Amino acid sequence: MAAANSPGPRGRVRSATGDLVRIGFADAARAVRCLEELAEAGLELDPPDLAAVADPDLALLALTRIAGAQDGGAALKTLWADRRAVLRLLAVLGGSAALGDHLVRHPEHLRALAEADILADADADADAGAPEPGPEPTRRQLAFRSALLEAVGADPAAAVPVAASPEPEPLRLAYRRALLRIAAEDLASAAPEQLFPRVASDLADLATAVLEGALAVARAGVDGHEQARLAVIAMGKTGGRELNYVSDVDVVYVAEPASPAVAEADALAVATQLASGLQRVTFGPANEPVIWQVDPNLRPEGKNGPLVRTLDSHLAYYRKWAKTWEFQALLKARPAAGDMALGRAYHDATRNFVWNAVESDNFVEDAQAMRRRVEENVPAAEAERQIKLGRGGLRDVEFTVQLLQLVHGRADPSIRAATTLTALEALRDGGYVGRQAAGRLADCYRLARTLEHRLQLHRLKRTHLMPTAAADLTRLARAARIVPAEGAELGKTWLATRREVRSLHEELYYRPLLPATAKLSAGEATLLPGAARSRLAALGYRHPDGAMRHIAALTSGVTRQSAIQRQLLPVMLGWFADGADPDAGLLSFRQLSEALGSTHWYLRLLRDSAGAAERLSHALAASKYVAQNLARSPESVRWLDSDRDLAPREPDQLRGELAAVVERRESVEAAGTAVRGLRRRELTRLATGMALGLLDDGAARFAVSSSAAVAVGAVLELAVKAQISEDGEQLANLAVIAMGSFGGREMAISSDADVLFVHRPRLGADETAAQSQAEAIARQVRGLVGGIGPEPGVELDVDLRPEGRSGPLTRSVDAYREYYARWALTWERQALLRARPLAGDRELAQAFMAVADPVRYRPGGLSQGELKDLRLLKARIEGERLPRGVEPSRHVKLGPGGLLDVQWVAQLYQLRHAGATPALRVTGTVEALQAAAAAELMDPADAAILVESWMQAMSIRNANVLWTGRLGPSSDVVPSDPRHLRGVAGLMGYARGDSANLTEDRARVARRARQVFNRLFYT
Amino acid sequence: MDRQQEYVLRAMEERDISFIRLWFTDVLGILKSVAIAPAELEGAFAEGIGFDGSAIEGFTRVYEADMVAMPDPTTFQLLPWHGDRHGTARMFCDILTPAGDPSPADPRYVLKRALKRASDMGFSFYTHPEIEFYLFKSGTGRSTNPLVPLDSGGYFDHTARGTTNDFRRVAIEMLEAMGISVEFSHHEAGPGQNEIDLRYADALTMADNIMTFRSVVKEAALSEGVFASFMPKPMARFPGSGMHTHFSLFEGDRNAFFDADAEYELSKTARGFMAGVLHYSRDICLVTNQFVNSYKRLWGGAEAPNYVCWGHNNRSALLRVPMYKPGKPQTARVEFRGMDSAVNPYLAFAAILSAGLKGIEEDLPLPAEAEDDVWALTDAERRALGIQPLPRSLDEAVLIMSESELAAETLGEHVFEFVLRNKRQEWNEYRAQVTAYELERFLPIL
Repeated sequence: MAAANSPGPRGRVRSATGDLVRIGFADAARAVRCLEELAEAGLELDPPDLAAVADPDLALLALTRIAGAQDGGAALKTLWADRRAVLRLLAVLGGSAALGDHLVRHPEHLRALAEADILADADADADAGAPEPGPEPTRRQLAFRSALLEAVGADPAAAVPVAASPEPEPLRLAYRRALLRIAAEDLASAAPEQLFPRVASDLADLATAVLEGALAVARAGVDGHEQARLAVIAMGKTGGRELNYVSDVDVVYVAEPASPAVAEADALAVATQLASGLQRVTFGPANEPVIWQVDPNLRPEGKNGPLVRTLDSHLAYYRKWAKTWEFQALLKARPAAGDMALGRAYHDATRNFVWNAVESDNFVEDAQAMRRRVEENVPAAEAERQIKLGRGGLRDVEFTVQLLQLVHGRADPSIRAATTLTALEALRDGGYVGRQAAGRLADCYRLARTLEHRLQLHRLKRTHLMPTAAADLTRLARAARIVPAEGAELGKTWLATRREVRSLHEELYYRPLLPATAKLSAGEATLLPGAARSRLAALGYRHPDGAMRHIAALTSGVTRQSAIQRQLLPVMLGWFADGADPDAGLLSFRQLSEALGSTHWYLRLLRDSAGAAERLSHALAASKYVAQNLARSPESVRWLDSDRDLAPREPDQLRGELAAVVERRESVEAAGTAVRGLRRRELTRLATGMALGLLDDGAARFAVSSSAAVAVGAVLELAVKAQISEDGEQLANLAVIAMGSFGGREMAISSDADVLFVHRPRLGADETAAQSQAEAIARQVRGLVGGIGPEPGVELDVDLRPEGRSGPLTRSVDAYREYYARWALTWERQALLRARPLAGDRELAQAFMAVADPVRYRPGGLSQGELKDLRLLKARIEGERLPRGVEPSRHVKLGPGGLLDVQWVAQLYQLRHAGATPALRVTGTVEALQAAAAAELMDPADAAILVESWMQAMSIRNANVLWTGRLGPSSDVVPSDPRHLRGVAGLMGYARGDSANLTEDRARVARRARQVFNRLFYT
Repeated sequence: MDRQQEYVLRAMEERDISFIRLWFTDVLGILKSVAIAPAELEGAFAEGIGFDGSAIEGFTRVYEADMVAMPDPTTFQLLPWHGDRHGTARMFCDILTPAGDPSPADPRYVLKRALKRASDMGFSFYTHPEIEFYLFKSGTGRSTNPLVPLDSGGYFDHTARGTTNDFRRVAIEMLEAMGISVEFSHHEAGPGQNEIDLRYADALTMADNIMTFRSVVKEAALSEGVFASFMPKPMARFPGSGMHTHFSLFEGDRNAFFDADAEYELSKTARGFMAGVLHYSRDICLVTNQFVNSYKRLWGGAEAPNYVCWGHNNRSALLRVPMYKPGKPQTARVEFRGMDSAVNPYLAFAAILSAGLKGIEEDLPLPAEAEDDVWALTDAERRALGIQPLPRSLDEAVLIMSESELAAETLGEHVFEFVLRNKRQEWNEYRAQVTAYELERFLPIL
């Protein structure tokens, strides 16, 4: 647009503005002026020469500035005859504003562009990323070393080169000049992704030459430097010979006395001076820009450790104290500068630690924690733009390769290369990762690194963020030679690359675990048994041999089933490994598959619904209860595909279904079994929802209670019918009243169901006969609901009836009325607080409630005597019922501040105030406490503390059942075994590694609840 | 650290050491010791030494009874009273669960956790205790066998009879031999009472040092044929043994308590810290004064600080701000005078630090300085000034701490619960005693 409005002075140029815009100029008018200016200075340029340049405007401006600088014009003219050099210059100026500025200040460096290619040097291919650093440096390394040492006036041939002066400037200039050469060739390349490994290894070689040069300069400033042998070990990307343009250079220092005459402490003091001197040379204040920061923080004890240590001291640290990540860092260690013999000794002596790191006890946890850090350390706003960090970023690729190296490098020296791409190739050649997967990962890595290089070159700033502005993206795309060179296109390419890296994980980590018989294509790898064992162990499987058997069983064979499982299993192995018990998850999956494999929908579901397979893996590895129940009713696996199916069924829906099921059964027993089966199915549904975190605890408690209610209702109907047909007539109507947590709709999976039976003799029926018929029916109901048989039952507990165990199983309404009027004890009134009609004759149930209401909601509340009795009773049973050997604070039901304490407070308030305050007439504990707070009878803060303790206790109970698959009283105890604690804490949403907090959190919440209880209940 | 382990292993050989004592401290502050042979040491560094914690106060019922003592090589020292040949050395241990996590019952871990909190806020915590104790020639304190103090000297007296001086020389030599610097020592106010001040150090080192100090003093006394006691109040007529301790927080190399422009050169941080310590001093009194006998010291007269207030040069204040020495900003500090010498230093330092940090975090206001002698005020005057008493008995201290979130958070739920349980029991046992006082006072007339 600017071009159209700006008539140029000469027609020839004016007609060219269109071309200039096509080439990529944003400001064609200015370009025209610059081109003219240059032409006048004798520097003719053909605009198409700028077509391949990242930012033509920038290139042309910089060129104009160089031409205008002192000595600039002359230097350019000298260069102008060399067309190749000019093209390189344009590439540099368009790709790097910072190098352009440098050339304005130092036109004499233009000559570097005319020098021979260094990247295309004969031995480039041979030594770019050699597997392990050989003892002899390459010619290219020597060339850099000589150039930089000579620049500081040191003798490259000397055993201990010393610079002519301690000034850092000459080294910094020489570095820029060498960097310019590398950048020129890199930016001028039409295929930068292919050139990348050599660029990166040259940058690393240049860095080691800088270290050598800086050390020579440092020596010039340290008296007595010859007392110490100092070796600089390159770590990180420098060590791996895969450096980028702007990065910290990670190093570790090793020093020894130069001779036995020198004391160790003196040598270390000198060496420390040298090391700090070296760091000042590259990064301290001076008249030339800094080179890069030397980062010595990978050393033992990090920032807090001494800067320099002796070899023995390093080794002692690694023997005793080092963490897994430190061994991982050591993988890249390479002697870089200073005393190379000492450096090599360090390198050789540390290899053992690297390749045995996988043996350490914490390897699995450490590796998982490191992986999480890779993913978590990125601010959310940047996550998508990060090239280095985050899921699918460069660090992720490097981590993946290094982890595989650590796992398998112990047994196989061929995969120990320090360079990421070389290592990846070796892993591929060794059969540790699939050929295709390795190739795709390498491509992604090259692309990302190339983008990173181009980004950093622009201003020579350390950045790893994709730009957002369209112009910046376009420049980046042009610099990286992405076709088509458009910003939007690049954005898409980048996102696709990130995603691909993520999806390749499964291929790299897990697919090679499949046995050879399970290979899908020739491009896939199969691990040898030893390697598979190592990898499974490193992933967190406790019994790799068993796991391998299961994997083989699942994937071998020619059936359609095994073919699909071969597809599914690799990714599922990863999901199992995320869970608390990967082995159990895998075993359960095998059992399920064997039971269901021939079912037509099963594999299709897992294959076509990624969600279902992932949920199945997570649920199986997190919960034995779910695993057991899915195995019993494999058809439940279907629910995993849909959130709706995993949500609790409405009671009405269940009732309808049950009516139909019961209808179809021939015998009462068979019908009872069907009812129990249905309830089990619903519990499976709830448990699966809970294990997957889809169902909150309150909804779960409600649903557990209502599934039991529906079952009791159906069974009562059955039993009544059966008894009538036996006796020939119906003598009594029956109703079932829910009590306890059943009445409160607050059942845990492990809860028993408390009930009362009530009957009313039919008109004209004999009372005794009616009583015995009703009792027979009640017995039948209990038998059918809790019976022994193919389906698990729920125990119907009737101990809350008048006179407890010695009383009749059922009473008439009149008998209840009479009993309560005459005998009602405080505990019975308390129990009645939770009574609600459950099943059977509705009118009868209402009649019972009419009897119960005045007993439990007495207008006067509690008398002083009753209050005293209630407190006394609680005080007496306190602690009495605690099982021996259990720490009270771990017992969530009977312990201090546990479920019972909270319930008793709620009930005390109801007994005292529900007569006057109808809002308290509720059966749930939480409801009652909240109503008491709302009615200003209780401090809301107190109510909140009690509710928190109660909720937490209930969650622990359910999590215990889900984790162990056992319903017994052990579910009331916070596990002390660390493995169980981890499983339970995981189900409760605690992060891995935080499970000890569950113990502390429970103790704290319970203590507070106990304080409130003491205050509200006893005073 | 690695150097340390090596150093320890080398020192073992060079110095002909035939036993290593692994030391740790139970929840009540009593030193525990496991001896191992030198050959076992390398294994102990790698994996720790397993032991059954069920018989140790406060260690029971944590992850069953199995515990692991993990020696801390930076604490390696020869025990000077075992002689040069076939010597004995000691190291303090961290107590771990079999799974390798820190045991919640380990007082050293309680302090480490509190220090971690301080370090998260950018602080390191330094302490400087003045430890008082008595030397006795003989006696058990029963009426038939009364305690006989070593001398009848008074404050700063140079006693002519040499034993006290000899004892102090022996003790200080032993302490210095173990790397514990003594700043000051002198005769205290009571007969046979001595005070030794340790040079300031970070709180963890100092807590270790105090545990060592008590052993050294007892050993040195035995070597002179007398015995030493850190009991808070051994004799009703004479002053108790306190452990006045100076505290300061540093941010890097800078004393965070110092502010050249503020009153008494006390920074905002220092004021917040003081406010916190005062505010919570009643909450943590059960930790700073943990025995029945501790309250005899607090309430037995003789200048023990028993009212919650602070002052500049006020001997009656619980918290005292020492006179600032011009040109020495590093020495800015506050002195807490409540603790007695029988304290568990790990728990007490943790409690005081947490209280102070809470004061800083919550920006608690520092009450006005007490300028009067608070002992001379009437109860009504103190009430009017808002000056609260510390708990008057172990019983009251238990009651107050049982309601304290700060104490629970600092000690961790396990230690918190244990301390309360143990102290309730101690109070119950004490209450059942018939004392010599009662017999003398009432038997003749009733």
